[in-house]
Amino acid sequence: MAVIETENLTYVYGEGTPFRKVALDNVNLSVEEGELVGVIGHTGSGKSTLIEHFNALLRPTSGNVFIDGERINWDEKKTLRDIRFKVGLVFQYPEYQLFEDTVYKDIAFGPKNMELDENEIDRRVRETARLVGISEDMLTKSPFDLSGGQKRRVAIAGVMAMEPKVLILDEPTAGLDPKGRETILEMIHHYHREKKNTVMLVSHSMEDVAKIAKKILVMNDGRLFCYDDTKKVFERADELNAMGLSVPQITRVFNRLKEKGINITEDVYTVDFGKKLVEKVMEMKK
Amino acid sequence: MIKDITIGQFFPGQSIVHRLDPRIKLLLTVIYIVMLFIADTFLGLFAGIVFLAAAYAISQIPLKMILKSVKPIVPLIIFTGILNLFFITTGETLIKFWIFKITTGSIKTAVFMIIRIIALIIGTSLLTYTTSPIALTDAIERVLSPLKKIKLPVHEVAMMMTIALRFIPTLVEETDKITMAQKARGADMESGSLIKRAKALIPILIPLFVSAFRRAEELAMAMECRCYHGGEGRTRLKQLHCALRDMYAVFISAAFIALVIIIDRVNIF
Ligand SMILES: Nc1ncnc2c1ncn2[C@@H]1O[C@H](COP(=O)(O)OP(=O)(O)OP(=O)(O)O)[C@@H](O)[C@H]1O
Ligand SMILES: [Mg+2]
Repeated sequence: MAVIETENLTYVYGEGTPFRKVALDNVNLSVEEGELVGVIGHTGSGKSTLIEHFNALLRPTSGNVFIDGERINWDEKKTLRDIRFKVGLVFQYPEYQLFEDTVYKDIAFGPKNMELDENEIDRRVRETARLVGISEDMLTKSPFDLSGGQKRRVAIAGVMAMEPKVLILDEPTAGLDPKGRETILEMIHHYHREKKNTVMLVSHSMEDVAKIAKKILVMNDGRLFCYDDTKKVFERADELNAMGLSVPQITRVFNRLKEKGINITEDVYTVDFGKKLVEKVMEMKK
Repeated sequence: MIKDITIGQFFPGQSIVHRLDPRIKLLLTVIYIVMLFIADTFLGLFAGIVFLAAAYAISQIPLKMILKSVKPIVPLIIFTGILNLFFITTGETLIKFWIFKITTGSIKTAVFMIIRIIALIIGTSLLTYTTSPIALTDAIERVLSPLKKIKLPVHEVAMMMTIALRFIPTLVEETDKITMAQKARGADMESGSLIKRAKALIPILIPLFVSAFRRAEELAMAMECRCYHGGEGRTRLKQLHCALRDMYAVFISAAFIALVIIIDRVNIF
């Protein structure tokens, strides 16, 4: 079943001012439940604007958004909060929204707003802390005393603890070192496998997306360029290049090898898979 | 949303009003304010409004923006109106109840004051609509520079204003972002008692302050790295120049203020 659907979704910033900007232009898409979707597109293509519609933070200029088959009704403010619990959104640089005096309280902020009972809140906080690799003794620390990467994980845990049906993350790896990126990605992948929930991951890094996403959604200048399996999307390397995107480095390497006449039939978009393939080819040559 | 705050918001354009020297615009605004305050009659006030309307027409600021600038001061307008209505006692009594009485004089004064305040706000808004904040502080610095002689830190104050102005949109944007992020975590800011709503601001204010301090620190560091050391001996990238159009503008507004004075002297209304 489709958990997120949009119908002719259009959004305009600054209507009626000289800064008018069409950020989303007639977007129609449908995301199935349990999917792990990568969202890519060049800067300013409308990715953030799109996902802010999914949990009713932005009101469409025209068109509709359906969550779980139900149309978001903007005239009933009360229902909007329920949608926000259903679709958890982690903003870019989420560490800047930490505010409580302990990590524990900050992760508990969302669940508390859901008016869960104490035991349930406690369970969720501890479980998500474990999931994102925040140790027990860190829970009593001030979030402002943590390192950048740790803060980021606490902030993500704050949204995960609401156990949303759909988890959306806007560039969760931005500004981290390779190891930090790896940790966050692994954590998201792990969350997806454990919870079987829908996850959407906005990212500038094709490598990151290729590594974990099953499907890819490509935005281009406010329009939906395509939404398809990872493999199918990266097959369109030329078109992606034309809109200022790329395919993962490893894919480029293997595409060149194919051009040189090496007999490779599969498409490669992760280093691990590439490695296996190379080993196989070497094996055959012996 | 918070973005709707417009006082002090620049509305870019290419009109003559936009291109006037900001110092001259500052001067014209002062002249305009004086004009409103020496106008004692409706006709005098009307002349001031004609001047304002003409300036707005030339600058091509949409009507919507003008209305927006008045919106925040509606309570003040109503308050002034009511005060004048009850406490002015000249003229014939029209209605009388308890200790209050409404007279022809009080109605006249109330209406007069309301028009004056609205004209004042709309007029000063024109300055900020057509002048970028940076140009404006630049102009203020130049106009006040004689005060350096008496050891007033004019440059530093102007720099502080420039920085403050520069960061207003950034902070507004940041507030919006943080608000959205906390809303996404289910923060409820629109319902409940006053105390509950005030408490709901904490998750927004704390991150906002933290980031404002972080920004301030970064900015200070960046300025020091570029050897900023205050106004002493600094030259400007953009020099301000008075052009012919500035002369015309001063001339026209001088004519208008003269007109207002004459109207008041003749006192035909
Ligand atoms: N608050 C805003 N006011 C006005 N215009 C905006 C605002 N936010 C975004 N825009 C404009 O809308 C367009 C889409 O922005 P959006 O943030 O959705 O892009 P994005 O794909 O998330 O980019 P990035 O990869 O840089 O995060 C951009 O052209 C941007 O300039
Ligand atoms: Mg974005």
